[in-house]
Amino acid sequence: MTSLLDLIGYDRWILHVLLLLPLVGAVVVSRLPSTQAKRGALWVSGVEFVLSLGLWWAVDTAPGTLQLVSEYAWLPRWGISYAVGIDGISLFMVLLSTGLTFLSVLGSWTYITEQERGFYALLLVLLTGMLGVFLATDLFLFYVAWEVMLIPMYFIIGVWGGTNRLYAAIKFFLFTMVGSLLMLVAIIAMVWMVGRATGTYSFAYQHLLDNRAALDGIAPWLFAAFALAFAIKVPVFPLHTWLPDAHVEAPTAGSVILAGVLLKMGTYGFLRFAVPFFPGVALGPVVSQLVVILAVIGIVYGALVAMVQPDIKKLVAYSSVSHLGFVMLGIWAATVQSVQGALMVMIAHGLSTGALFFLVGMLYERRHTREIASFGGIAKVVPVFATILTITALASIGLPGLSGFIGEFLVLIGSYTAHPTATIIATTGVIFAAAYLLWALQRMIFNPLDHPDNEQLSDLTRRELAVILPLVAGMIWLGLYPKPILDRMEPATQHYLEVISTAPIPDTVIAHDAPARTQVEAR
Amino acid sequence: MNIDLASAVGVTIGLLPEVVLTIFGLVVLLLVSWRHDGVGDLRLAGWVSLVGMLASLAALTWLWVWEARPMNGPNMIVLDDFRFAAAALILIAGIATVLLSLTYLEREGILAPEYFVLLVLATVGMLFLAGADDMMVLFLGLEVMSVAVYVLAGFQRGSAFSAEAALKYFLIGAFASAFLLYGIALVYGATGSTSLAVAGAAFNRGPLPLMGALGLAFVLIGFGFKVAAAPFHMWTPDVYDGAPTPVTGFMATGVKVAAFAALTRVLVGTFGAAGDTWHPIVAALAVFSMVIGNLVALAQPTIKRMLAYSSIAHAGYLLAALVTGSTLGVTAVLVYLLAYVLTSLAAFGLLAVLGREGERDVSLGSIAGLARRRPWVAAGLSACMLSLLGFPGTLGFIGKWMILLSLVGQGHFMIAVIVVLASLVSAGYYLPVIMSAYMRPEAADSSHSEIVVSRPVAGTLALAVLLIVVLGVWPTPAIETAMASAGSLYDGIVAGVHHALR
Repeated sequence: MTSLLDLIGYDRWILHVLLLLPLVGAVVVSRLPSTQAKRGALWVSGVEFVLSLGLWWAVDTAPGTLQLVSEYAWLPRWGISYAVGIDGISLFMVLLSTGLTFLSVLGSWTYITEQERGFYALLLVLLTGMLGVFLATDLFLFYVAWEVMLIPMYFIIGVWGGTNRLYAAIKFFLFTMVGSLLMLVAIIAMVWMVGRATGTYSFAYQHLLDNRAALDGIAPWLFAAFALAFAIKVPVFPLHTWLPDAHVEAPTAGSVILAGVLLKMGTYGFLRFAVPFFPGVALGPVVSQLVVILAVIGIVYGALVAMVQPDIKKLVAYSSVSHLGFVMLGIWAATVQSVQGALMVMIAHGLSTGALFFLVGMLYERRHTREIASFGGIAKVVPVFATILTITALASIGLPGLSGFIGEFLVLIGSYTAHPTATIIATTGVIFAAAYLLWALQRMIFNPLDHPDNEQLSDLTRRELAVILPLVAGMIWLGLYPKPILDRMEPATQHYLEVISTAPIPDTVIAHDAPARTQVEAR
Repeated sequence: MNIDLASAVGVTIGLLPEVVLTIFGLVVLLLVSWRHDGVGDLRLAGWVSLVGMLASLAALTWLWVWEARPMNGPNMIVLDDFRFAAAALILIAGIATVLLSLTYLEREGILAPEYFVLLVLATVGMLFLAGADDMMVLFLGLEVMSVAVYVLAGFQRGSAFSAEAALKYFLIGAFASAFLLYGIALVYGATGSTSLAVAGAAFNRGPLPLMGALGLAFVLIGFGFKVAAAPFHMWTPDVYDGAPTPVTGFMATGVKVAAFAALTRVLVGTFGAAGDTWHPIVAALAVFSMVIGNLVALAQPTIKRMLAYSSIAHAGYLLAALVTGSTLGVTAVLVYLLAYVLTSLAAFGLLAVLGREGERDVSLGSIAGLARRRPWVAAGLSACMLSLLGFPGTLGFIGKWMILLSLVGQGHFMIAVIVVLASLVSAGYYLPVIMSAYMRPEAADSSHSEIVVSRPVAGTLALAVLLIVVLGVWPTPAIETAMASAGSLYDGIVAGVHHALR
């Protein structure tokens, strides 16, 4: 595989093509005849996904640093460039984005019946925005991608959403913008301070990271600005109130992408920017305590609120608050296991929650209701659907052997030494998750079949199976054999932990890891 | 190219854009006094005005490319890239306004070709205002511009609102001019000269005398009225709302560019040494304008009035860029003005297109479902709203970004934070426009299908929106030009002080 990729010069063009293809595709799709739009979008997102799969082999994750980096001047006067790169952390986020977008196109096949061209074009623009966030190694580019991604999602919620869509759309937009605008001020301040200290004014990620010592004076403020932007996106309790509205009102594809990818941008932002830039502040006692407390509150609160939801989609939405709490806990415990666990939760949550939203959407298309109480005993009518829903719910709960388990388990064992009390409380979140999902399952698919409307439900079509089975396969794979993924993550995690360890590290150790260590031992 | 502005030939060359445009203005005046009935004459006057503005732009480009600079000093007018950049923006606003007015006047039945005479003369006044190096020239330019614009505001004779706008603008404008004139007199009293350079050299020698400080205060008040900065903004909503929409666009863009060009020159040139005195005042005006403009805009029932209040907020952002008084700040002013000119022209142009039964009544409700019927109009309107909001991918973002860059670079964190929070508030009224056009169902009695976009209007709007997006993605040419122009302003100031001292 590697030699084939070398042959076509894959690593030289892949990142640029991944960013450009959906944009071009969006233009093409918006010009196609309305009935052909979804086919066009399926092709574009399919090609995109297949292309992105090559990254699995092409990215050399062993050094743990950014790979396939390339840089072209954009605004040279301010040291702004179009600079991209990828490492063992962003690799999986990229695959998740391209994969979920492809499935979302397929999953919207019959759900979206109005203004199809616009919908699919926006979905593709959204993909470029998401990939831009995960691939950018220039803070200006990152900011632009972060903001630009808002527009397609705003339209997707606002045009194709549910009854309360306008409120949800503007709330989503404004919440995200509060954080990101302050982050923009912080980014500019960083560039000035580092520029004054080093003489080089640049928005390049590595340059700012290498000279983060220059930021010490106002680091708490800068961190606060970054953290606010990311915490809203995650979302960390109590900034989560936009999430249930946006998730519930969005069309299925919108919810899938929101939960599957957009929330991870927040945690990715912490891992890539907020914590590495300001480790002294972020991992200092005050902030650390605060974040861990909020993460635990999020875990427990999200689960408890999910439990009482009458609407299954809202239940899944609140469960995201709970799951993302584990990610935050894992990041702040800052051990190899906990950070790897956090990354695994990010991937697993993308698969299982994405699948749950798809399943809810499929049910909604049949019954036009999402109320748990209006179902019951449908396992007899739609056995395949019920089986898949059960597997997905179990994966989301964290049953060993399925995707949810490995990540949450790693987070909990990795966090125990650093924050024992918090970890113990967080563990109850897993139990609550079992409670709310199993209880919902029982009410929906098991209890007696007492609504006559449900007797005529049709089971999943072949297209719907094509949407859902890859996700189920992913859940099982992640649960049974996560080693290839963990292996690819580990060097990046190690590197991340080296970067955030507050003790200054000589450049040589980062650049030539192994030889430098041998020298130290030899002495 | 060094020009001796003391000689008649030199001053003619130095004022070539103004001279050309004045000649065309007079030609149009002759033309309309001779032929002024019917649509044909209106069109003729419009096209001749357009040719005049293009010729003036060509003359300007010629001066700009050959780097015209004064040979000696002090002079009545300046020759530097800052003037050329501002003049180019003014002419762009003028050209676009002519193109947008042609169809508008016909549709509204305002068949008076004098409109174009006033438009051309107002533009001449703006050019003088932006190019003045002497407070008398500055004042004359301001008055030529203002008087012409007063009449333009009241040009829709059948409308009481238009008459109200003209009267209000005239009374308050005259009041503001008096303030400015008094300020000029005080500065003259303090320094013995009306030359900006000589006065600047005098203020350079020591601390600002009390009379100079009073002069500064009055000048700031006068300009505050003209640029519609809070707390001198009271006239803005009614005047912008009542005036014919292309005129509103012209007032919001041309007047603002000219006034900001002059204000920048007075502040960093004449009062450059007294920065400590005016920085906090300008900062306070900026904050007031951003807060009041944005908050009140939230509560406006119609889009035109909303844009009027938002123009107060934009004056606030521009003042925030001036707070630092640095080269970067002046660059930010120019970039932001470019963004604001293009976006506002397009926004008011689209509003004029939408307002078939009086654009004062175009509200969020009346544009509901626009995207289905007129996708390009809706897309253009959305791009304008996003650019006004300062969203990445549009030129408006580059403008805001430059302002933040200049503020943060000088350590003005608080003002930078206020700028971004104010932008956030503005999302609360810009987004609903997009939302209404795309996400609300069309009303049963909507008349979207009757919207007619004539070819010159469509071309102008398309070009403006295209520039907003293209320069938003690749802003290097705009930024570099603005950078060079700002640098040229400072070089000119240094040279002016040098000449004055000799």
